[in-house]
Amino acid sequence: MSPASLANLSETLVWFAVIAYMAAAVLYGLEFAYRIHWSGRAGLAVAVAGFGANLGAAVTRGLAAHRVPWGNMYEYSIMVGIILVGGFLVWSRRRPEVRPLGVFFLLPAVLAIGVAGVALRVPAGPLVPALNSGWIKIHVAAAITGSSVLSLAAIFSALFLVKDRIERRRETRLPPLVAGGARTADQVELQEALAGYEAEAEVEAEPTAGPPADGPAPRSLWDRLPAARTLDELAYRTAAFGFPIWTFAIIAGAIWAQSAWGRYWGWDPKETWSFIVWVVFAAYLHARATAGWRGRRAAWIALVGMGCLLFNFYVVNTWIVGLHSYAGIK
Amino acid sequence: MNMNRNGNGFGERLQQGWREFRSMRTALVLLFFVASGAIFGSLFPQRNISPQRVTQYFSDHPKIAPLLDRFGLFDVFGSPWFMAIYLALLIALVACLIPRVRTFLRIVRARPPAPRPRLDHYRNAAAFTAPVSPEQAVAATRRVLRRRRFRVVAHGPGELAAEKGYLRESGSLVFHVSFLLLLIGLAYGKGFGYRGQITLIEGQTLANTRIAYDTFTPGRFFGPSRLAPFSLRLDRFANTFYDNGTPKEYASWVTASTLDGRRIGGQKITVNHPMTVDGVRVFQSDYGYAPVVTVRDKSGHILAADPVLSERAPVSEVSTGAIKLPSLNPQVGLALTFFTGLEVQGGQFFNDPRLVDPVLVVLPYQGDLHANQAQSIFTLDTTKLQLVGSQPLVLSLGKSGKLANGLQVSFSGLRRYTVLTLARDPGVPVMATAGTLILIGLIPSLYVTRRRVWLRAVSDPAAAGESGGARVELAGLALQGKLAFVEEFREIAAEVQRELLSSGSGSSPESPSEQAGSTLSGSPAVRR
Repeated sequence: MSPASLANLSETLVWFAVIAYMAAAVLYGLEFAYRIHWSGRAGLAVAVAGFGANLGAAVTRGLAAHRVPWGNMYEYSIMVGIILVGGFLVWSRRRPEVRPLGVFFLLPAVLAIGVAGVALRVPAGPLVPALNSGWIKIHVAAAITGSSVLSLAAIFSALFLVKDRIERRRETRLPPLVAGGARTADQVELQEALAGYEAEAEVEAEPTAGPPADGPAPRSLWDRLPAARTLDELAYRTAAFGFPIWTFAIIAGAIWAQSAWGRYWGWDPKETWSFIVWVVFAAYLHARATAGWRGRRAAWIALVGMGCLLFNFYVVNTWIVGLHSYAGIK
Repeated sequence: MNMNRNGNGFGERLQQGWREFRSMRTALVLLFFVASGAIFGSLFPQRNISPQRVTQYFSDHPKIAPLLDRFGLFDVFGSPWFMAIYLALLIALVACLIPRVRTFLRIVRARPPAPRPRLDHYRNAAAFTAPVSPEQAVAATRRVLRRRRFRVVAHGPGELAAEKGYLRESGSLVFHVSFLLLLIGLAYGKGFGYRGQITLIEGQTLANTRIAYDTFTPGRFFGPSRLAPFSLRLDRFANTFYDNGTPKEYASWVTASTLDGRRIGGQKITVNHPMTVDGVRVFQSDYGYAPVVTVRDKSGHILAADPVLSERAPVSEVSTGAIKLPSLNPQVGLALTFFTGLEVQGGQFFNDPRLVDPVLVVLPYQGDLHANQAQSIFTLDTTKLQLVGSQPLVLSLGKSGKLANGLQVSFSGLRRYTVLTLARDPGVPVMATAGTLILIGLIPSLYVTRRRVWLRAVSDPAAAGESGGARVELAGLALQGKLAFVEEFREIAAEVQRELLSSGSGSSPESPSEQAGSTLSGSPAVRR
């Protein structure tokens, strides 16, 4: 196929993916709101189809341009869609209680790709000289993956905040699943963990889904969310997965900068904001290990981190002048 | 100073303050300050990145700019307050690490604690009887746990305590200590290194001395005498574009020689492929055009005949330069605009970035050049200058023309020039090591989980087989990764049970879940 027709195919696949994700979001939403289980399974099938199209869009774009498909903001957004939806699919496979939450993960993916398709689209072309290096495969790929995974963690944190508020009102909170546990020196923390275990032995603690099906009828839509502590644990594990990737992205960027610009760090706005995102998520991980900061405060920190990620991508690339202005758009 | 015993003395308060300083909460606060401070550094133009934007900001906002400057907002990352924040963070880090290293060493040396009296209180607990002696049970459990790389310790007869996951804390310590190493590498590199830019016209050779540099930023302990003795020559420069005008590649072919002319090496330097000469790295930074302009006076004497460095505007590839002739009376200045491929389309001017039709536009001025004042070499200070004549001189390559004041200007040739950044940073290997250690330490600190397993085996005559009977109780606790540990504990208990039953007298008892007194609790699937 000629590059032009591959590029056209890529754009068609992008729109197919967006529509599929929207349809899947609706189907998941129906399952979440009205407990229509076949709707959830249909949503999964449509989401997988959309994911395949999303993947195909990236591959054909790469083939059309003869390079890795992440050289400008448009292509970056397409890759983010892949990781967001892919991450959600992986989690929903491993933890069945995640599946009804599909609408909360697919809508951000729709937004990311939709904004790219509308405002960031550029024709498939070659890379500018500064990006023409093997490092783009490593540094930018890690940045895409890291930022998408950290965004997943933020979405879980947002859901946690909602459910936590409900549970507080109903006083049905269960002790946390993950202690964080950085303070190995703290005897008190150890005693707490032991005491918590002993208390839990008496509680029919269900670490999986929310209220059982034959339990009291849920009073609000949000009762159908998994237990707050489950969401908190999912947020933590996702963030703990994404944080090393983001750290690696920054280090790889520094190595690339050293060979391209002669200095590994120059406080260029993009470098600065990547560092800010790193600091915020480091604060998140610290907060989860600090008494008084776990739970709601940590979740808010994760949301601040997501805000910084969005700023880093949409604002720093386009508005703020620096060495990193590779948006591709004029 | 009153050091009384009820804890309100100055010394007590100091101790409390220090404990608070090295706590996690302080770390959180300081991290937020670092992030917030960094935000300022991205919102205002910074001197070390682009001084001209700072100057522009001053002229755009004359009232508030000096105030912002006072607060160091145009050089945030070098300002005292930002340095104070990250120094505080680093001191808090050191303060936190010292007791944690001590505690970690103590934990590593200490033994996992003995099993508590009631093992069935643990969430992960298993109990069963087996036709083996308690000693055999202990031995089998020890084998199973050692296979899984637990550290196993005996506490009295029939009791074992096992622990695993020290890598979590050691990884965390490595991760955090590496930041100190990062700081050391940074300070060393900045102190003993330097950075500067040189401009080379095609065919020109420059020796690596202080005067060759346009900009020179040395470290505190770097003197110009430490500059490595070599010289660089730009043999050729080439820039290529794609058909739609976007840049494809630009490259400098540079030869390095010793100061007495012996060739050391040569390389095609592009943006991502720097050259290394004598410990100094040479990077491709920028480039431009240097039209060769010959200026003759009325009698044919040559007043100027050198290539004129012109400043290239990116994207448009239109360059501006100036020739200043202060020795004439009145002084003459020529403002030059160089086009690589000037075309007119529908009443508008475009410049093709590819070198298709080089055109030089000369605007002559005369008057007072202000030559004794500092000014850019690319532009004229026209405040005391008047235009000569009414038309600019438009010359294509090779042509010449006459100005209204009798001077003859010819566009005799075109050379390109390259701007190379030379940098030496001896701290780079230290930074690389620190970066690697940060990653190596981070991953176990997040993924390795600390867990403990306990065993108590007492003799139980009711279950006696050939070698005896024992009631075996196992319990486990995970500080992190509790859900995953549920599965791991079940596997351990099942493995121990298998080993004991197979090493027993051969009579096979009922399956574990049916045996009386056997509880494999803690797994949701079983509970359902």
